[in-house]
Amino acid sequence: MWFAGPSPRHPRGFRLKAAPWWRHCASAVSCLLLAQLSAPSALRAQEVIVHPGVGVTTITTNEARLYLTLRLKTWPNGEPVKVFVLPDDDPLHRRFANTVLGLFPYQLRRVWDRQLFSGTGQVPTAVASESEMLRRVATTPGAIGYVESVPAGAPVRPLEVR
Amino acid sequence: MMAVIARMALWPLLLLAGVAVAGEARTPSLWERLQGDRLQIHGFASVTGIQTSANRFLGSTRQGSVNFIEVALNASYQFNPRVLFSGQVLARRAGSLANGSPVLDYGLVDVTLAETVERRFGVRVGRLKNPLGLYNETRDVPFTRPSIFLPQVVYFDKVRNLVLSTDGVMFYGETATGYGDFSLTLGSGQPVVDENLEWAFLGGNYPGKFEPHGLSWVGSLWYSALHERLRLGVSGITSSLRYRPGRSGPDLPAGQTDITYLILSAQYNAEHWTLTSEYSRLPLRWQGYGASFPYRKTDGEGYYLQGTYRVLPTLDLVLRYEEGFTDRTDRSGRRLSAAVGGMSPPSDYFAKIWTFGVRWDLDPHVMLSAEYERHQGTYTTSYRENGAAALVRDWDLFALQIAVRF
Repeated sequence: MWFAGPSPRHPRGFRLKAAPWWRHCASAVSCLLLAQLSAPSALRAQEVIVHPGVGVTTITTNEARLYLTLRLKTWPNGEPVKVFVLPDDDPLHRRFANTVLGLFPYQLRRVWDRQLFSGTGQVPTAVASESEMLRRVATTPGAIGYVESVPAGAPVRPLEVR
Repeated sequence: MMAVIARMALWPLLLLAGVAVAGEARTPSLWERLQGDRLQIHGFASVTGIQTSANRFLGSTRQGSVNFIEVALNASYQFNPRVLFSGQVLARRAGSLANGSPVLDYGLVDVTLAETVERRFGVRVGRLKNPLGLYNETRDVPFTRPSIFLPQVVYFDKVRNLVLSTDGVMFYGETATGYGDFSLTLGSGQPVVDENLEWAFLGGNYPGKFEPHGLSWVGSLWYSALHERLRLGVSGITSSLRYRPGRSGPDLPAGQTDITYLILSAQYNAEHWTLTSEYSRLPLRWQGYGASFPYRKTDGEGYYLQGTYRVLPTLDLVLRYEEGFTDRTDRSGRRLSAAVGGMSPPSDYFAKIWTFGVRWDLDPHVMLSAEYERHQGTYTTSYRENGAAALVRDWDLFALQIAVRF
């Protein structure tokens, strides 16, 4: 599925391997042609979690991107958005950026850094592990984050992204 | 003497503190404290070693120099979802061009006036970084630069304050359409100037004052599409500086320098590579400096093409070619050189530079970079650092940098 270009979906444990040069050239062309068509659709919606008080059950990919880049700072009910992310080099973070947001992790970092170091915005709070992610999202009103899968009985709400 | 030693010792200490905090930051307790509910505190530090085959670039680099150091600390406070306060203090040592004194890099209040999924609109007031080109807003942050040094023909480090920041007000808006996203910034205020502008635009340090005259205007328009893979932008600033002679001694007469700066930007981002190109124009006009002042009008030009290849998510290679000219109607520099009676060689009015760089992110807090540059021409070097006589046309630069952030 390399021709799907911009939305690489790697199974868990996938090891990054440089593709041959012609694949990059071809994928650039196909990006231009297919990017709009190949917007992430086969999403693992259970990965995105919010604090149970957030009065939303479904958001679009575009909204997810705006929340994660802290450009949308309030939920529809007026509650401030609080974003939690794993480190840039965490495999789950990389997969989340690619499949849920349709962005490469370095693009997310670039947006955050521009806001942070020009004073025009804040950045997500980094957490060290999935268990900390669950704990912080469950205990922070307005929180949004992501996990591999939500354990039964965890006090967070899965959010569908479509 | 003790003061100098104390000041020099301060840098490694600050850097060590930065590394310590970066390391410490992985324990949730301190991290959580620094990343409070509304308050965020971040910073970075970098040290760069530079060696050149000839000419000085941010220090006595022919002998090898570690005189390029950047340290910054910033804080932001989200008062409520609509109001954000933020500020950054930056200490920058760059040879004889910057002495390392801490300055307010930016300090502002950002008020969101309207916010929906489709569009956002707001205003910023205070000391604001100018949204020029892809890199100006974060030009002093090693982690946001594609290489150790930004393409100098567009982002001059010899006169960084030419376009660095504005004390004033900027309105911003962004909207999402079916064809892509547009964002617009328009602002006005007073440019933040320093001594290097006097050296670059008047050719020396005169007894009088070179200061902003009237308001400067700045604006940018960006278009992004295909999940932000394609970004196109146009940005520019126009400002005016006035020279007021000092009280005594030989001096320039009172005069005015008008500056316009325009950048066209394009970038394409793929998973493993990024292709970037920018084109800039810098028309300058000098009025009233008297018959013996050599310049009246120049039309500066600079452009580059840059490819970044991500061998691994943590390992980047960058290759860039750039060209810049003091006056695009005199690309050989002969006419300008003749205008100053040969005091500066023709090669001081252009630059053609190949850059090859490697960047390795050891972890999210620590980065190592190396860079080799092959230069033809000295347009990007500072007259203040080099004078004119000793300039060498063909020269090489090698740099190594370590940077930490938290």
